[in-house]
Amino acid sequence: MTQVKLISAWFGGVLLLAGVVGTLESGAADVFLEATRPDFQKISLGVAGIQNAGGPDWLGGRIEEVLKKDVKRSLVFDLVDLSSLGIQTPDIGNGMGAGSKVVFKQAAEKGVSVLVWGKAGLKVGNKDADVNMEGFVYDSGSDELVGGKRYAGSPSVVRLMAHRFADELVFRYTGEPGIARTKIAYVAEQGTARELFVMDYDGYDARQLTADGFLNLMPQWSPDRRFLIFTAYRNRNTQDIDMIELATGKRWTVISLGGLNITPALSPDGNFLAFASSHEGNSELYRLDTRTKAIQRLTVNPSGDLSPSWSPNGRELVFVSDRGGGPQLFLMGSEGSNVRRLTFEGDYNAAPVWSPRGNWIAYVCRTHKEYKLCVISPDGQKRMQLTTGPGVDDSPSWSPDGRHLVFSSTADGKSHIYMIDADGKDIERLTFVGTHNSAPSWSPAS
Amino acid sequence: MNKTLCTCSVMLVMSLALISMPGCSKKSVQSGGDSQPAQGMAKGGSSDSSKSGVGSFPDTGVQSGGGELRGLDKNPSEERVGNGTMLAKVDPSSSAGRQMAEIRAEQAASAAAGFRDVLFGYDSWTISEDGRQALNNDAEWMKSNPSALVKVEGHCDERGTAAYNLVLGEKRAKAARNYLVELGVGANRLSVVSYGKERPACIEHAESCYQQNRRGHLVVKTGK
Repeated sequence: MTQVKLISAWFGGVLLLAGVVGTLESGAADVFLEATRPDFQKISLGVAGIQNAGGPDWLGGRIEEVLKKDVKRSLVFDLVDLSSLGIQTPDIGNGMGAGSKVVFKQAAEKGVSVLVWGKAGLKVGNKDADVNMEGFVYDSGSDELVGGKRYAGSPSVVRLMAHRFADELVFRYTGEPGIARTKIAYVAEQGTARELFVMDYDGYDARQLTADGFLNLMPQWSPDRRFLIFTAYRNRNTQDIDMIELATGKRWTVISLGGLNITPALSPDGNFLAFASSHEGNSELYRLDTRTKAIQRLTVNPSGDLSPSWSPNGRELVFVSDRGGGPQLFLMGSEGSNVRRLTFEGDYNAAPVWSPRGNWIAYVCRTHKEYKLCVISPDGQKRMQLTTGPGVDDSPSWSPDGRHLVFSSTADGKSHIYMIDADGKDIERLTFVGTHNSAPSWSPAS
Repeated sequence: MNKTLCTCSVMLVMSLALISMPGCSKKSVQSGGDSQPAQGMAKGGSSDSSKSGVGSFPDTGVQSGGGELRGLDKNPSEERVGNGTMLAKVDPSSSAGRQMAEIRAEQAASAAAGFRDVLFGYDSWTISEDGRQALNNDAEWMKSNPSALVKVEGHCDERGTAAYNLVLGEKRAKAARNYLVELGVGANRLSVVSYGKERPACIEHAESCYQQNRRGHLVVKTGK
């Protein structure tokens, strides 16, 4: 899979470049999404090792590997290779010794802003084995030993320790909670059935949530991360919208109006559920007030309306309608007012998702008969194609920090789940087993 | 490498669980669409709203406070990291086995009826001449088996989005249903359902396969 860096098209202007995607792959190289965020300057960070302090050989290395990948994916830090800068990284201990001072000085001279190190060990108690991890942080800008964290837990949570430490680093330098502890819900094929799963954001620790032996489709998270809401087939004949509580596995039906009931999306405050239903004929959009249970119809036309996604402030919805022939993106107020068309390029634009920062809407665009990822600004002024090449890309979903998307693609044959930076760089495949993995949905941050 | 192994073993464990646990008596996941609200949830609305097909709804807004991040500390106290487990264990219910048996019974009944699929063009839900011939054949069977109930399934090929294909599949199923009604089959004997691109007949990435998947598929209902 290759990526296109930027294709902008100013509607109403002269440039409509989407039709010539292939020729632009190497052009416009320096204009990334970050250009819209002038404050965005990555912080150089070096990991000076997680030492083993009693325990299996793999322990420190495992934590270090997970931590480094988290740091890199955060896109907040620029992970630097200390050894290639000639910085020796002996055991720095707690950072108070004379040896540490030498390392800190080297790091500062080489422009490394943040130095991170730690140790991890396994303690066998009278009952269970316990992993202990300590992480330390030095800031060369302020020449300060910032402090650190101490974690304890069972050996099965070493990855989670690294994730939590990575998020503390992001939190320290941005005030944001980080994404290393987020989860991705998705659909995986089990025989001929499709069941819901949840995995860590980096593709590890997949767990199965449903086992009906039929279809469960397109899960979405509740804002509080406690529930998934999705389309399920009651005895294979009708599509309902169900919810499942992750902590308990309790599951129940919330919408069963008859006909097709699909693409549920909870408003950011959890007070409304937007969804598509064909119970009055063709697929229309509705809004359920989750407190009063009142249902309000939002669209009225003989075409298919579906896939609503909320703006972060909850005031607007972007959705798909084929009222003009093929599917296109439309915007409207969340109570159904002021409908206007957003996409005009190409004859197939669908599966929109509004970014948590509000500045982009990601969707599936068809170009040269391939289904690829695009983003468009809500005012329609900027548009960019993120993926190219063969294969059907589907179901984009934003990371809560707005810096990544997760999506499914058949680029490698079978449908698998991938992560991509919001500017179209750095595609990472997340699933490697199974015959079909699709419909990823990224959890909110905690 | 590590990652593949790790994920493999997770999947293996899960498949083993699926194979070995169908008789398990304790269910922690309600499968097959049982309507059961979670505990501690507001009782849902008026009787009107329960009639209208709306179930109970929890408060899903973000709770204040929360979060595990406490900041870096010069003298950090120990934090316990839990086993990630916001996730309940799944015990496969008997639902999977029951559905499998019902699907097999439906397939056998539909094969015996000699139903033919209606095939559709790319992005299209228009019934072609070939499609009409297939449905003429299917309608004959329905007229000579007047008590049979039939489900018309709409399917799509893998191209396009999962969501839009569900809508497209419903358009195909309804087009086939409407033509059968025109031929004189009672509308009350026909139901429609869309499976979008989720139950393909063929999984190659090739036009021959895509054509087989863009179909209206008739199924004799054998259960309730």
